Amino acid sequence: MTELLQLPLFWASATLAAFLIGQQVYLRSGSNPLFPPILIGVALLSGLLLLTGTPYPVYMQGGELINMMLGPVIVMLAVPLYQYLHTMRRHWQRVIIAIACGSGTTIVVAGALTYWWIGDLPLSRTIATKSITTPVAVAISDQVGGLAAMASAFVIATGILGALMAPPLLRLIRRDQPHTVGLTLGICAHAIGTSRALELGQQQAAYAALAMTLTATLHALVLPSLLPWLI
Amino acid sequence: MPGLLILLACLLLGHFFHNVFTLPVPAAIIGMLILLVSLLLVGKTPQSLQQTTRTLSPLLPLFLMPVSTGIVTQGETIARHGPALLVILIVSLIPGILVCGWIMGKGYFHD
Repeated sequence: MTELLQLPLFWASATLAAFLIGQQVYLRSGSNPLFPPILIGVALLSGLLLLTGTPYPVYMQGGELINMMLGPVIVMLAVPLYQYLHTMRRHWQRVIIAIACGSGTTIVVAGALTYWWIGDLPLSRTIATKSITTPVAVAISDQVGGLAAMASAFVIATGILGALMAPPLLRLIRRDQPHTVGLTLGICAHAIGTSRALELGQQQAAYAALAMTLTATLHALVLPSLLPWLI
Repeated sequence: MPGLLILLACLLLGHFFHNVFTLPVPAAIIGMLILLVSLLLVGKTPQSLQQTTRTLSPLLPLFLMPVSTGIVTQGETIARHGPALLVILIVSLIPGILVCGWIMGKGYFHD
């Protein structure tokens, strides 16, 4: 049994199994935004690692087999972005401004608060990647000397919180038109927000997907050069 | 499979530009921009690429699991700062949401 735990293939299989369980739980919960598949999957896998006392580098020998696909999948984001570009043809200036200001506000507040309250530089830089979809956040976090593992945790937590908070908050300020809700979900809660938008309607979903990919692209281009200079 | 080859080719080009010009932008993002520009130039998404996208998209969370599981190495940070970080995440979302709503809802909007 202990030899089995050293095999890369075992951990690659465990990753796939944890993901499939996470997906089932999410579907059974009626696609509850509190339980995205990745949250449950990672919780199960982390539990298994701690339970068996397996160090992360040993796990990663198997995890690497799956991790290899992350690069191609980031490149793939160009496909939905290209497909959704037409939805913003008529008001692209407003959309770009909303994305730049909205996502800018939330990460500046988060980065500043972390630096002021906790005073940890790598952590402050990492939390600044929170509003972009996980694959991009991880790549940027590596680039700016942040903590890739924490980046992923921040992104998932933000996604869950944003998907829960954005629709009621927008209703409160009477800005709950479909395009506004969709765009805000995409900007503040990336992929988890986009899946929430998909439940609200097609228009919301198109705007959310557009906002998510544009936010990720914008941050990927700007953050690596801006962050070391800011904090 | 040709779709996957397109993705890998763009990724390789991304790495190439990343290394040759020592760009601060991650290689995969450069690859994504190369693919986006190519799609805009061609004017449509090739069938094979659409098929690859349909196959890979639902699996995205799976590909993120190995990195995300790295959270097990961050026990100390979470134990010390976990609650504070959660508060920061919640608080920082509020101005972001309000700014988005304000800009998108300002003035006339025809859709």
